[in-house]
Amino acid sequence: MTSFRGSGDVNEATLEVTALLEGLAPGEGDLLEALHRVQHRYGYVPAAAIGAVSRQLRLPEARVFGSLTFYSEFRLTPPPETLVSWCSGPACYIKGGENVRLVLERLLGCAMGESSADNRLGLHLGQCNGTCDNAPQVWVDGEVVGPLTAATTVELARRLKSATSGDA
Amino acid sequence: MPSYADLVAAAEPARLRLEARDRPRLAVALDTSTIAVGARETLAALRGVVAARGHDADVVTVGGNGLSFAGPTVELALPLSAGSGQAPGARVLYQHVEADSAAAFVAAVLERGELANIWLLGALSGADDLRRMHDHPWWAIQERRLMQDMGLIDPESIDDAIARGAYAGLERALGMTPEEVIAEASGSRLRGRSGSDFPTGRKWEFLRTSTTTPKAMVCNADEGDPGAWVNRMTLESDPHALIEGMAIGGWATGAERGYVYIRDEYPLAVERMEKAVEQARERGVIGEGVLGRDFAFDLKVVRGAGSYVCGEESGLIASIEDARGMPKLRPPFPAAAGVFGQGSNVNNVESYHSVAWLMRNSLERYLEIDTGRNAGTMIFSLSGHVQRAGCFELPMQTTVREAFEICGGGPPDGRRFKALQPGGPLNAIVPEFVLHLPLEPEAFKENGMAAMGGGGLVFLDDSACVVDLCAQFEWFLEDESCGRCTTCHGGTQRLVEILRRIQRGGGRESDAGKLRLLAATLRYSNCIHGQAAPTVVVNALDWFTEELNEHIYGRRCPTRVCKGLIRYEVAGQDGDLAKAADYCPTAAISLTDGAYSIDDALCVRCDACREIAPAAVRIVDRFEAGLGPAPEPVSVQPAER
Repeated sequence: MTSFRGSGDVNEATLEVTALLEGLAPGEGDLLEALHRVQHRYGYVPAAAIGAVSRQLRLPEARVFGSLTFYSEFRLTPPPETLVSWCSGPACYIKGGENVRLVLERLLGCAMGESSADNRLGLHLGQCNGTCDNAPQVWVDGEVVGPLTAATTVELARRLKSATSGDA
Repeated sequence: MPSYADLVAAAEPARLRLEARDRPRLAVALDTSTIAVGARETLAALRGVVAARGHDADVVTVGGNGLSFAGPTVELALPLSAGSGQAPGARVLYQHVEADSAAAFVAAVLERGELANIWLLGALSGADDLRRMHDHPWWAIQERRLMQDMGLIDPESIDDAIARGAYAGLERALGMTPEEVIAEASGSRLRGRSGSDFPTGRKWEFLRTSTTTPKAMVCNADEGDPGAWVNRMTLESDPHALIEGMAIGGWATGAERGYVYIRDEYPLAVERMEKAVEQARERGVIGEGVLGRDFAFDLKVVRGAGSYVCGEESGLIASIEDARGMPKLRPPFPAAAGVFGQGSNVNNVESYHSVAWLMRNSLERYLEIDTGRNAGTMIFSLSGHVQRAGCFELPMQTTVREAFEICGGGPPDGRRFKALQPGGPLNAIVPEFVLHLPLEPEAFKENGMAAMGGGGLVFLDDSACVVDLCAQFEWFLEDESCGRCTTCHGGTQRLVEILRRIQRGGGRESDAGKLRLLAATLRYSNCIHGQAAPTVVVNALDWFTEELNEHIYGRRCPTRVCKGLIRYEVAGQDGDLAKAADYCPTAAISLTDGAYSIDDALCVRCDACREIAPAAVRIVDRFEAGLGPAPEPVSVQPAER
């Protein structure tokens, strides 16, 4: 993985970002696409990419950063090895989704929106996408797991912990 | 430039494949709902079995059919040439065809000719001796117009779509003047299906007569209301219907450019929509000369990035314009200054889809379903406490009770209906009286609601707590506020603080008045997000007064859902308390002198122990038991890092 040294640097890494942004133009509604491309490549949007996006789309860096933090799906830090997204929708909520969250926070060792200290497991606030027949559900790296109970969530969390701890 | 007739001719092989089959076809419905229950694995397994056994059969993919509760579904289509007794030409739908039963399924339907088997859902056509789909009341009640090809065509094949009539409506519209097209849209009395309820024809007329150039058609495919996935059905299962509706709109209004703004949570919809746009461009359906005419129209798919307020039309426009998706002050309205200052028209997916259906058929046919106030159909997604979650396309005189009982199959066993939550967290939580209302916006407005919403219907049974759901919704709305108006971001924050305090037993006599004052203030926010944010709280004050007061004054949650008002305790030593102790995520259950007990200070009230040992663990009202407030705020940080 290419390393980044910080905003403002024009180095190998920012040149790579510029290549990713090829074909995107100012005034075309391409900012989200630019940020998606960067995140798709690196798993997050590194600070050093902000300058490249700003130059490509002729937008102030502040505007790029503002959008980056406005939208909840963009990350500013590397994602955890395994990301558990908890569905916050009402169908999941009224069927015990809160119990699922309580268990996950305790057993994965991180609060919603955070990652465990070793960044192996993270919890993300997910939005309903209409697979409500699996409620209450989570997505583990994008794969739906559900319907869950508190007890089966305990089993899931322990399985995830042992699978990522390396000493399983 | 190819004409519409050229497209139809090119789609002839697809039509033959769809209609005049020479070998059996197994079609696996593949959309986000069925993929969630293993449809991709089913597809791979069926292909493996069919190849391994050398069957002369096709295994193909089609879009979703809306029947989430039955997934993965597989449709068997038998050849027209099949011998008598083998139901030539029959189309039969099967449910819950899991990957590990693929071999048994293939053996049954392709080898032994057993069409009636444990997977049978119903025959769509032919096979008269089988249970028919129409024998299911939840199928018979539907009028599948917009969904007619969902589950039948491959959404990644423009030829499949054309073979089933796609772009015939665009062709017809291009033969009319823009005024005639708008007159027909107005004649249908179609109103914005997102919940905005604004007449589509009139909106198009605003843009047509707007003097700005260039102009843009915008599709709001953000569908952020949790519990609604009706737009996702069109995007994933019949994307060309949306392109067609938008191109018709472009012709009617003079717009040459279109934007489809799809939420990031719908990656498959983005993928299929982009593919459909690319195919339509390659075939000359859109681009420089639409269907060989002197009319240019092109489309761009914009992928959102996780922001509920981008479903508000001016927030969506801001989001397309390389900016934070913050709603704007109006006027100017989009028809005067929309995307990048261009005159724009914003409709949601189903509104465009409905126009495509209207133009493919006729105004006369559109009005064959007419309640007097609303014509046509609407797709509803049912979820929550129902037996069957899924999407159902219904005529709008259908009552909520019919949708709930006939489509949804009623509440889970042993439970009773308590409330309906239609149209997302900005809309309403409505008690029992809602059941007799028809699914028409007017009926909802006449009964104290602002709107019916975009088709999401979340049902609550008597196990749900309205105060708890209000707190969750207000928290969601606070989190998703764009932050421009203090009324909104500060108001929702105060609502959450008060509701959460009530949920921890700290209710005060002044709370009802405070909640109403906040609601009154929030109405002065700039956009619908803040304006409608307090609605569910006002619903709780007006319609669930007793339940709310029980929380405030009784410091008790009647359904024992609010964590700060309950305590878990060991009721007896019968049951697997050892296992419960092992499962407890905070090690709150301990064994002392041969008896288990639960440490209230450690317990987070997740319910795992009671699931495991229901007879041994009980929930008590903590204030009635004289226990005082919960030791710590419950929805907080983990015990250890």
